[in-house]
Amino acid sequence: MLEVKNLSVTFPEGTAVDNISFSMEKGEILAIIGESGSGKSMTSLSIAGLLPHDAAVSGEIVFEGRELLTMSAKERRGIQGKDISMVFQEPMTSLNPVMKIGKQVEEVLVLHTELGREERKQRVLEALTAAGLADPERLYHAYPHQLSGGMRQRVMIAMATVLQPRLMIADEPTTALDKKIQGQILSLLKQINKDRQMGILFISHNLEVVRDFCDRILVMYRGKLVESGTPEEIFHNPKEDYTKKLLASIPDGKRSEGAETGNRKPVLEVKSLNVYYPEKRKQKKQVIFDASFTIYEREMVGLVGESGGGKSSLSKAILGLNKHIEGTIIHHTEYPQMVFQDPYSSLNPAKRIGWILEEPLRIQGKLDKKERKEKVLHMLECVGLEPSYAQRRPRELSGGQRQRIAIALALILESKFIIADEPVSALDVTIQAQILELLKKLKEEFGLSYLFISHDMAVINEMCDRVFRLRDGKLYEEL
Amino acid sequence: MKKIGKKVITLIITLLLISFTAFLAFQIIPGDPAAAVLGIDATEQQLAALRREMGLDRPLAVRYISWVWDFAHGDLGQSYHYRTAVSGLLAGKLPVTLALTALSFVFILAISIPLGIVMARFADTRLGKAMNVGNQTLMSIPSFFLGVLLILVFGLILKWFTPGEYISYTESVTGFLGYLIAPAMAIAIPKSAMVIKFLRSSVLEQRRSDYVRTAYSKGNTDNRVLFVHVLKNACIPVITILGMMIADTMAGSIVVEQVFNLPGLGRLLVSSIGNRDYPVVQAIIVYIASAVVIVNFIVDIIYRIADPRIRDVSL
Amino acid sequence: MGKSMKKKNTALASGLIISSVLAAAMIIGIFYTPYDPDRMNGAEKFMAPCLQHLMGTDNFGRDIFSRVLEGLKTTFFVAVCVTATGSFFGVLLGAVTGYFGGILDEILMRMNDALAAFPSILLALVFISILGSGKYNIILALGIIFIPSFARIVRGEFIRQKELDYVKSARLQGAGAFRIMFVHILPNILPALLSAVTVGFNNAVLAEAGMSYLGIGVQPPDASLGYMLSEAQGYLFSAPWYALCPGIVIILLILGFSLINEGMGGQHA
Repeated sequence: MLEVKNLSVTFPEGTAVDNISFSMEKGEILAIIGESGSGKSMTSLSIAGLLPHDAAVSGEIVFEGRELLTMSAKERRGIQGKDISMVFQEPMTSLNPVMKIGKQVEEVLVLHTELGREERKQRVLEALTAAGLADPERLYHAYPHQLSGGMRQRVMIAMATVLQPRLMIADEPTTALDKKIQGQILSLLKQINKDRQMGILFISHNLEVVRDFCDRILVMYRGKLVESGTPEEIFHNPKEDYTKKLLASIPDGKRSEGAETGNRKPVLEVKSLNVYYPEKRKQKKQVIFDASFTIYEREMVGLVGESGGGKSSLSKAILGLNKHIEGTIIHHTEYPQMVFQDPYSSLNPAKRIGWILEEPLRIQGKLDKKERKEKVLHMLECVGLEPSYAQRRPRELSGGQRQRIAIALALILESKFIIADEPVSALDVTIQAQILELLKKLKEEFGLSYLFISHDMAVINEMCDRVFRLRDGKLYEEL
Repeated sequence: MKKIGKKVITLIITLLLISFTAFLAFQIIPGDPAAAVLGIDATEQQLAALRREMGLDRPLAVRYISWVWDFAHGDLGQSYHYRTAVSGLLAGKLPVTLALTALSFVFILAISIPLGIVMARFADTRLGKAMNVGNQTLMSIPSFFLGVLLILVFGLILKWFTPGEYISYTESVTGFLGYLIAPAMAIAIPKSAMVIKFLRSSVLEQRRSDYVRTAYSKGNTDNRVLFVHVLKNACIPVITILGMMIADTMAGSIVVEQVFNLPGLGRLLVSSIGNRDYPVVQAIIVYIASAVVIVNFIVDIIYRIADPRIRDVSL
Repeated sequence: MGKSMKKKNTALASGLIISSVLAAAMIIGIFYTPYDPDRMNGAEKFMAPCLQHLMGTDNFGRDIFSRVLEGLKTTFFVAVCVTATGSFFGVLLGAVTGYFGGILDEILMRMNDALAAFPSILLALVFISILGSGKYNIILALGIIFIPSFARIVRGEFIRQKELDYVKSARLQGAGAFRIMFVHILPNILPALLSAVTVGFNNAVLAEAGMSYLGIGVQPPDASLGYMLSEAQGYLFSAPWYALCPGIVIILLILGFSLINEGMGGQHA
């Protein structure tokens, strides 16, 4: 059905897709896996005809016997939405915010069919129902902001299936969603694929997601196709080094050996803690109810829960960043620190790395100028970076390098207790594994304790000795 | 609805605040209003009598309340200079300023919206870039200098109108409006350039959004994406800018009336400042500021109706 | 990307060229003008621009070029003082209200809203009618009037920045509020502030020229571009250069700064 031959996509800044070829059968689910910058999205956009204007494309894309790259823009539009549809990563922004849902789904019918108004509406309602949305009549007149993320992604899917195209391109359709919703969307896609024989080209950075979902997997790295095969072959018999690395970076899910806590000293004691979230004037919403726990030295404690479930509120309360609390928090260590989720905002963009790392020492008036500089260089070495990084600015660094700096910053005051708030979820998978490795190594070297926050059970199980789960603002210990 | 009720209360508080500021500002002026009316030759007795008559011996709060009360009932006090009721003075001038402001605003809308869209549509072409440079230059022309230029070119050289020969609306409504075209253009052109710049960049910004990519993925043409999807999103922030333009347009009329010799509020204001005729100054300032606040209130309501995201939470 | 960068740089470069030429002319004008700007010469009334008088002469036979340099000096002086006053107090107020929030913020923002209802030239006229006209009163009036617009921009930036993780990180390191505000956050809002300064400078030039045109701004013997324009209007047909020269200088002054703002990718204000 789809045949891609020697496809290359080049931008003025460099090559995004480098001479790749593959084909896809009718009704097949094909996954393209790769990290950001691997060219997987550019591949899908060139099939969909949505490449940015400054991209230069070469090669062939043959869809049902027609060459897509050489046809006129008008012919191409006749295929877009009708024979090839697309679902994007961000359901929050992919729908027009000022247009009613019904109109947005209906537009596909307006553009490609001669149906009358009533018929169109009927088809839209059917498509919304088929996408698993209840009460389509009400949704028809709703605006996107009135829907949850999962519902919006279902609307996108309704839009992409209303004309029963032969190929749907789904570009990271579940990445922006919660774990639970992710599963629902995947099974919806699987069902549509089975019921209607619709081919799905599924783009993802996450090997695990596609394991039980797709028929074949292509692995891309730096614009090149490195390996392809069935999920069976890829998971059990990977041939290329890069694929092996990708597989190794999936946490294996086995809980590390929890050492007994008998004689250890506590680093943090929390007793009957209530945390509130200040809303408008005097109104407060309670987000944490009566939480009590203790963290001991050299211990890694995990904290899991749904997003928006109060994990961040709890960590901020522990560190004194949220003052709307009741209860007791006792720190037995000095300068508890935090490693934040987003390394792009946790380092001051206006300063150099050296200045940023020196700042805590300067504030605390610890060492003299020369000693401070030495300490900074030492910390850079500890997190595996060259001394020359002290002269750079945060924007010159990659995400993984920034997270290394953030870790160095948390350790420079010789803090013994660190809260790591989703420290790897903004990073590519192979980088994730490196950062987790670094956190483990530093724990041994400096005798640290962590409170490790994540939504990813696999990561938590790999890292932590004990795990707490937050559900509806209450804390439970997992055994 | 709750939010609208709150907005109305804020509006009333703002209006009171404006009136109090205007009242207070003219209380702290050095000098005796009674002396200002009677001149330097007045005797102490005459002054005292007039002070009592003007109510100057009462406490500040009482004077403020009675001033607001009179103001709300159309009694704006007596002009020191012209020795007549301020309300009568303003009555003849108000229509001129209102007509000038309204006409300018109509011109701003008529010029900026089509041109802004055209410039955004062709932003990447050479023509679009040339238009952008021209637009930047127009934005930099002060309205009073543009007025002088219009008089020179269209009045003195082309003789399309006679500068200085104002036609009153009581004589001929068409002649009156005809004379207002040049001053309204002097106000509207630089403001339109600002709106165009804003609309253009708003459209360009919206064109980078995810929903635009979705629209293209359905097989939409460039024009359909622009007119069906982008335009409404792009216009929402422009409404705020247009609201701010109304205040600027009124301010512009103060100066431009002087350029074209128009007998409006602006000229009266400037001459009254020169004459130290405070009751007139005070009344005009309260008038203009209230008009601006009320117009902003209306713009705010329109904004809420235009954007379903805000409409929903607040109505 | 590449193309738009290039275009921005041309905007910035042309803006810098226009502004620095005018600034240089202004500085030279302080020490040297071809003629005494106030010297009248009955024999040389209304001369068209020529080699002796680059911009011609006015109704009293004064050299317009020398008077434009003189007026440029006044305009620069007023605009710089106004922008400096407005931005200094605006940054202080905006930083404190944006960072701490709370009741002080609430009160100041309400006052700000009420003040914003008055068009700035109207407010300036109120001040002038109370204080009287003249160069220093204009600086005082416009300086105060410009504080809220700076405060609003700075406040918005502070509210945005204080939510970012690097600020939380600084708090965890033990940095005090004022260190966070002025050492950590301030450098990050400089681009926005710079843009506000260029816009503020232009508004000050416009307001001063407009008020002087109305005859209630800078008073003779101080020369002013706006006042020259209002004098020239009477001789518009017989001596158009008298009006055109100061007018074009005002346009260039404003154009230069707005191109700089555009080139730096500045906001609209």
